[in-house]
Amino acid sequence: MSREAGGGFAQTLAIARRDLLREQRVGEVAWITIPFGAIAVLLVPLAVGTDLPTLTRIGPGLYWAVVLLFGVFIAVRKTAAETPAQRDLISLLGLDPVAGFFGRAAASSILLLGFELVVGAVAVALYNIDLARWPWMILVVPGAAIGLALLGTLAASITANLSTGPALVPFLVAPLAVPLLLAATQAMDSLRPGDSILPWVLLMVAADLALAIAGVLTARPLQETR
Amino acid sequence: MNASGHRMGGASWLDRAALAAVAGALALAFLTPPEATQGNVARLFYLHVPSVSVAYMAFALALVASVGYLVSRRMAFDHLAVAAAEVGVVFTGFTILAGMIWAKPTWGVYWTWSARLTLTAIMLFVYIGYLALRRAIEDPQARARRAAIYGIVSVVQIPVVHFSVVWWRDIHQLGTVANPTGIQMDGILLVAFFAGLVAFTLVAAALVTRRYALAVLEAGVHDAAARGAGALAGDAVEAPRIGARAGEEHG
Repeated sequence: MSREAGGGFAQTLAIARRDLLREQRVGEVAWITIPFGAIAVLLVPLAVGTDLPTLTRIGPGLYWAVVLLFGVFIAVRKTAAETPAQRDLISLLGLDPVAGFFGRAAASSILLLGFELVVGAVAVALYNIDLARWPWMILVVPGAAIGLALLGTLAASITANLSTGPALVPFLVAPLAVPLLLAATQAMDSLRPGDSILPWVLLMVAADLALAIAGVLTARPLQETR
Repeated sequence: MNASGHRMGGASWLDRAALAAVAGALALAFLTPPEATQGNVARLFYLHVPSVSVAYMAFALALVASVGYLVSRRMAFDHLAVAAAEVGVVFTGFTILAGMIWAKPTWGVYWTWSARLTLTAIMLFVYIGYLALRRAIEDPQARARRAAIYGIVSVVQIPVVHFSVVWWRDIHQLGTVANPTGIQMDGILLVAFFAGLVAFTLVAAALVTRRYALAVLEAGVHDAAARGAGALAGDAVEAPRIGARAGEEHG
């Protein structure tokens, strides 16, 4: 991880690759978090009623609520946690804290994107969601994944090594994810012909940028506390 | 005064000033004429709006203190941050409560899904999260650093809450004092509002001062406990004085 081993971008890729490899070996997201999200999408109609037109109308909102509340578990998955010995080793190898932050966030983004796509397919099928002008979703879905991954990684760094960390992260992330939730749900609402999706896409991009800047500014002070 | 030089018992000049200001503000609030359409219930304005203004100020102070801590690493800034955040949470909770009491006779319900109401509730939970984070971390330095970072990230909510009534027009009225078209009050109403603002600001300042002093005391207790942890088990047991006893026997 030293300078000889590559610059910031190479370090980011190395950390992301490491996290994805660990996830591939353990399968925590694939076998626990994604099925958990799919069950949530299946159970909600049992609570609010199974009237299909109603579900079609509220389905996008329910989907994004599930993504927000369950997707945050991806950022605090066991396979993303580092033991003190691993952290010391990585620090001694000269890992740039900013590269470490973006590497972890990149791995979480990819996993969150997979979560969104699988749970989204379940929601479209069960709630009969109309995906008119669906190409716009190519901007919204990854944007939400990146934002939630950045926020989750930041919260996971703040609560690293705390015994209450896994319980605390969803509580810290949920209220701060409101701009992402608003942008995603309003963007899907604006997919109707005649409405403009652009303001909501811009809100999501602004939220993602703000979180990325927060990650850059706080990576070093957070490394001191780990 | 305690060992740190912070007054904990009795009423300080700030406490007395706050009490006097509250009494004056209440008197002014009841001297104003009833609102034309809402009647007496509109007097809650003199509590509701100053309360949220003070909550914003407290959270802004927590932000400044958080930045101050990260720059200087002085624990005094951390004590100030927690004091301001706790007081901000109290005033945000009071704002929501006063707003709900005002909403029932005005809108017919305690709660509507207005952007301002919803985002204010979310702001409350952001700062409850900040306080929960602090409680989860035992080491003072680690707690100060992590809380400062979360405190800085959290502050992005405040402008969103404040401008929500402009960005999303709904049942909640636009700002009466901080209105884009100018102040929408005049005469004694405006005087009563500013009296309420001064009173709430003094109450918040008194609370922050006391909470700061308490945080200093808590840090002192933690330091004393950390020093005490160096004592060995069995220190309290007195070792037998063999030499002295031998001396007694031979003497």
